[in-house]
Amino acid sequence: MRFVLSAALVLLAGCSRSGSNNTLTIAVNAGVEGSALKAAAREWGEIHNTRIEVVELPYANLFEKESLDLQSRTGAYDVIMMDDPWFPKLVAENGLTPLPRPPDTDFLASTLAVCRNAGTFYALPYVGNSQLFFYRKDLFEKYKLGPPDRWQDVLKAAQTIGTGEKMYGYVMRAAPGNSAVTDFMPLLWAFGGDIFDAQGKPSLASPEVIDALRFMLELGKVSPPGYAGFNADEVSAHLLEGTAAMSINWPAWIAAMDDPSKSKVPGKIEFAQMPSARLPGVAELGSWLLAVPSASPHRDAAFDFIYWATDAPQLTHAALRGNPPTRRSVFLSPGLVKKFRAFPAQLAALEGARPRPRTAQWNEIENAFGVALSQANSGAISAEGAMQQANREIAAILERSK
Amino acid sequence: MTRRLPPGLVWVAPALLVLAALSIYPLLYLIKVSLSDARGFTFEHYTRLFQDRLFTVAAGQTLFYALAALTLEFFLGLALALLVDSLAHGRALVRVSLLAPMLLPPVVAAVIWRLIYNPEFGVLNGMLRQLGFHTANLTWTSGRTSAMLSVILVDVWQWTPFLFLLLTAGLQSIPSEPLEAARVDGAGYWRTLRDVVLPLLKPTILLALLLRAMDLLRIFDQIFILTQGGPGSATETASLYIYRTAFRFSNFGYAAAMSFVGLVITTLAARGLMRLMKIS
Repeated sequence: MRFVLSAALVLLAGCSRSGSNNTLTIAVNAGVEGSALKAAAREWGEIHNTRIEVVELPYANLFEKESLDLQSRTGAYDVIMMDDPWFPKLVAENGLTPLPRPPDTDFLASTLAVCRNAGTFYALPYVGNSQLFFYRKDLFEKYKLGPPDRWQDVLKAAQTIGTGEKMYGYVMRAAPGNSAVTDFMPLLWAFGGDIFDAQGKPSLASPEVIDALRFMLELGKVSPPGYAGFNADEVSAHLLEGTAAMSINWPAWIAAMDDPSKSKVPGKIEFAQMPSARLPGVAELGSWLLAVPSASPHRDAAFDFIYWATDAPQLTHAALRGNPPTRRSVFLSPGLVKKFRAFPAQLAALEGARPRPRTAQWNEIENAFGVALSQANSGAISAEGAMQQANREIAAILERSK
Repeated sequence: MTRRLPPGLVWVAPALLVLAALSIYPLLYLIKVSLSDARGFTFEHYTRLFQDRLFTVAAGQTLFYALAALTLEFFLGLALALLVDSLAHGRALVRVSLLAPMLLPPVVAAVIWRLIYNPEFGVLNGMLRQLGFHTANLTWTSGRTSAMLSVILVDVWQWTPFLFLLLTAGLQSIPSEPLEAARVDGAGYWRTLRDVVLPLLKPTILLALLLRAMDLLRIFDQIFILTQGGPGSATETASLYIYRTAFRFSNFGYAAAMSFVGLVITTLAARGLMRLMKIS
């Protein structure tokens, strides 16, 4: 019996967190954003003689792991990396620790706004992501087309280039969920629509939103068949292969577009602001944030790390590793501007970018909205039917959350 | 008077403890979660099930997926088993080759098929183009009507070998005497198959169908990788919807209610099949 108890104790000791005071566990997104943070964490660990444990998870799993950890207060992670739409949900679970001091003013206002809840900061912005409009400048010049400033110009250019070059004039992602919503939001805002009205009620059945979706379906006619199932990979593959002329995309893909080993059209893609329609064009914000869970057993060290990782020198290193910065001074650094030709466009897009609605129910709302958008784009239902369906379902989600 | 415990109980106690910890407790906890929300006891999660359009769609599609895949896999598996069983030489080699897809993890198989199905850059449309077919509208997993067919095809490709394997084992366990007697009586191939082989194979067939049906009803990984339930909700299945509800929307109560209903349906279906097996 004594042997069994001893064995159980040894086993339990082995299962418990290896969390001595010299260990920091960090949950990061598997991808370019996470790679830069991993490298920074290892550097910080060496400086501070701290062991770094990196838990690298694909985007689809990162949220669920973090949310479960925060809800159950297990303290599995000392630092978490999160996409900005997750912030309201994670902060609503009382799982994040308020920052010990406010962030400085060098951070771009749009990236800071998504780190705050009821006047208190809970996170620091690490990756300054916002959408950009990618287009084939060489083909625009060949067909003497003006820059794609308005969505109507985009559609006309897509038709002209598509016919002239025997390629797809446009490519977008309309797989259900995040993909379809992300590519639709700039259209929705440009056409004067929004997900919620001033009273916080869903407003997707408005004429502006239906017009925006009808326009999306027009763009679908000049997009590759099957785009209703596309995600970011398929969209970028079309641009890299030179089989599509335009798309909305994220800065993470800029480097690949200029890399001859990955792109068949290196240097031919230009990066611009979102086109406008009834209202000026606005990009969707998709910043990555760093925060410290309230159950972290190493909060002081964790805060020390996230302030260090988001200071200007570290964000400069992160930019060189492929991450768009969140500080104005880094965006304006002459060395980086010379190295990254899209930086001015990225800064302008980021300054005007809009976040997704700040609600703890966003994941569920985005799912209902994205399914309806994907159904409309696959031809299963009409634009009006899709938006009425999404409106009803979002209203039910809000009602249930009361 | 002291009652002595049956001696066998001590030996099975560890297994019973593991069963209680890993199956019975989670099941009871699942029921508890499905009947509670932040305010306490509620039956709301179960009433919502019948009003939830997405759940109804997902449940219907899961049944369709399971029935279609099971039917195709069974007939293909049986045909292959009969074919391989009739080979005079090279049975072992053919058997190993046929089992290869089953050895791949479903996620890996799904990633490979996602690349194969890509309408523009995939191998499938590439080959069809080489053969002179017009592939512009062959969008496979992205098409409204073709998406479900495409994911079923992947399942058939990967899991027909499982049915083939079980049915081959069943065929090999059939004694030779009834087959010889049928031959002596002048029964042809089809008559022998219908009146001798299939009745003797019935227990194996039912076992194979039972195992595969239970697996198909909880299909998740292939669809998650291939279509994420899309386009729209064309390939949404119950498992995918439960996963999203629990881990993306953090609504554990509703996800637990859906899981419990799914468990009851699967258990009833399995009981039905097991009863058939007993009759046989």
